[in-house]
Amino acid sequence: MRLLLLTNHIQNARQSLKSNRMRSVLTMVGIAIGVASITTILTLGGGASSIVSKQVDALGGNIAVVRPGAASDSSLQDLTKLSASQHFAASTLTETDAKTVANVANVTAVAPMMILTGAVKADSTAPNTTSIIATTPALEDIINLQIQDGQFLDPALSENTVVIGPQLSVDIFGTESSIGKMLTIKGKEFTVIGVLKRQNDPINYNNVDFDNSVIINENSGRTLNQGALQVQQINVKSDSVAHLNQVIIDINKTLLKNHQGEADFTVLSGDKISQPTSNLFTAIAATTTSIAAISLLVGGIGIMNIMLVSVAERTREIGIRKALGASNGDIVAQFLIESLALSVGGGIGGYIIGYVLAFGISSFLPFFPIFTWEIAAVAVIVSVFIGTLFGMYPALRAAKKDPINALRQYD
Amino acid sequence: MTEPVIVLKDLRKRFGIGDAEHYAIDGIDLTIHKGEFIAIMGPSGCGKTTLLNVLGLLDTKIEGDYELEGHPVGSLSARRQASIRSNQIGFIFQSFNLVSRLNVVENVALPLVYKGVSNLNRLKQASAILNTFHLGEREYYMPHQLSGGQTQRVAIARALVNNPSIILADEPTGNLDSHASHIIMEELSDLHQRGNTIIMVTHNPRLTTYASRVITMLDGKIDTDTAIQEEAKESAPKIPLGQPAKVSKQDRQSKKRRKNKRGKGTRG
Repeated sequence: MRLLLLTNHIQNARQSLKSNRMRSVLTMVGIAIGVASITTILTLGGGASSIVSKQVDALGGNIAVVRPGAASDSSLQDLTKLSASQHFAASTLTETDAKTVANVANVTAVAPMMILTGAVKADSTAPNTTSIIATTPALEDIINLQIQDGQFLDPALSENTVVIGPQLSVDIFGTESSIGKMLTIKGKEFTVIGVLKRQNDPINYNNVDFDNSVIINENSGRTLNQGALQVQQINVKSDSVAHLNQVIIDINKTLLKNHQGEADFTVLSGDKISQPTSNLFTAIAATTTSIAAISLLVGGIGIMNIMLVSVAERTREIGIRKALGASNGDIVAQFLIESLALSVGGGIGGYIIGYVLAFGISSFLPFFPIFTWEIAAVAVIVSVFIGTLFGMYPALRAAKKDPINALRQYD
Repeated sequence: MTEPVIVLKDLRKRFGIGDAEHYAIDGIDLTIHKGEFIAIMGPSGCGKTTLLNVLGLLDTKIEGDYELEGHPVGSLSARRQASIRSNQIGFIFQSFNLVSRLNVVENVALPLVYKGVSNLNRLKQASAILNTFHLGEREYYMPHQLSGGQTQRVAIARALVNNPSIILADEPTGNLDSHASHIIMEELSDLHQRGNTIIMVTHNPRLTTYASRVITMLDGKIDTDTAIQEEAKESAPKIPLGQPAKVSKQDRQSKKRRKNKRGKGTRG
């Protein structure tokens, strides 16, 4: 019997929304905008993450990275907080950590990555976005860097040698064949010994666009940075996939000892590596999320507004229904279902618009939005939540109306 | 006499507070038995409609005792009261009170919604009762497309669709011509014959001929309370009808028509 009532309420809601078509559609648009922005963020965010996890998978699954800072609990946290910029806070990882990690059992290669800032010059000055990475020769093996021309860093060679990305080569020398040419970093001269193969992967788990970077030796990096280096990330390779978990546990133990028991670092592997992408991406995601939250709120207020108008307009109808045997619960259900219909309708519309938008935006980005049922579920849950939250008050207000007074009102 | 359905003891209903305080119902003691057809008469503002609202559980902020079928109404939960309104009481309003955005058959089916009848059955039952009121062809009209008389007939059909045992009618024929009035009154009379309790507020003294008991109210109190004997009713109406012969002919015609319609209704 209750179920029958429910279907009746749904029919009734459809009828009443239809009779005010323009109003209903406009209200739905409010919710649709909010849900569309959430969908866009999540699908594009998912796309960005999946591109990185694909890279990680391609490396064979025996890679772990150590990053400064305590672990965040969820990817949602990454979206909603702006990650503390590495440029302002001192990294909690040190060169000593890198050396200790190298001694852990089953670790075959360790490459600390230290990212510096400074002017890179040759025939012309390199763009500001150029990264200067100080690392060890092991990096080539761990992240599988492809060399197009020349060779990677080698301890046997002079310290003042660099490997550069192809785009940087074009930017400062005007050609991709720049072996043997000289460039200056912070005024110090270096010889180019290798040019990397073009990757076209500005988003990756190293947070570095290798096409636009200069890779220098650890020691030269130290010289350029007043003798001290901050480690942004330590890339670790274990001898096999099976040993990776044990390696991660061991690294955690040894580093914890180094850090006096303070867990101010994170060891990540597999999909987790792909979580924090670039700072810029996190910033954009955070901004859009807050816009989405605001527009959802505005949409919700729109629903409440329209429902209050609808309740006021139908005061007499409420009186009639009560006189004919509707309980307060029936009246609440009638109006709540109507507001739910508005919000869920808007939610579904917003989900579709969000995907279209995400595909539009992705044509300017190096990745595609992803399809998962989780995002659809989020869209539906958010809209159900908004519909209930903002529909409850008008519905309760409708139910509270005194039937006698309600019947006295004229349509 | 059958068991009492409604028992009122020193019932009072107050409006306003302080200086503006005013008792619309000022101490009514009344017992209504099952199967009575009561006509309540009295000047405007004497509390007839208020009394009807109280009886119909629409107005529950009252002083004094109201027992409905042995249960004191004050002790019933809101949900229980709604269920009584849904199952036992049929309300006929003075001002039609149809839902303007629903069509005729949906309006009539409305009380069945809250009894949990399925959509198809609702429409079937509503359609059947509309046929008995000669409104079979108007099922899909909107309320504003009907004449006053038709609208009131729809409102009455709606009050009767859930087979209520108590029918509360507030000037059911107030907006109808004498022909339409008689169709309605015959229907109410028929319901009365079948054992339903009917309480009707009216201004029209002619209609009291259908009642088994006539109550007149004055200033929130019962002024007179007269039971009408069946024989007296049969022999001669106390209040002369306009054209007795013609009216009774119409009666017969309408009765016949209704029977035909009913036959059709059940076949369809």
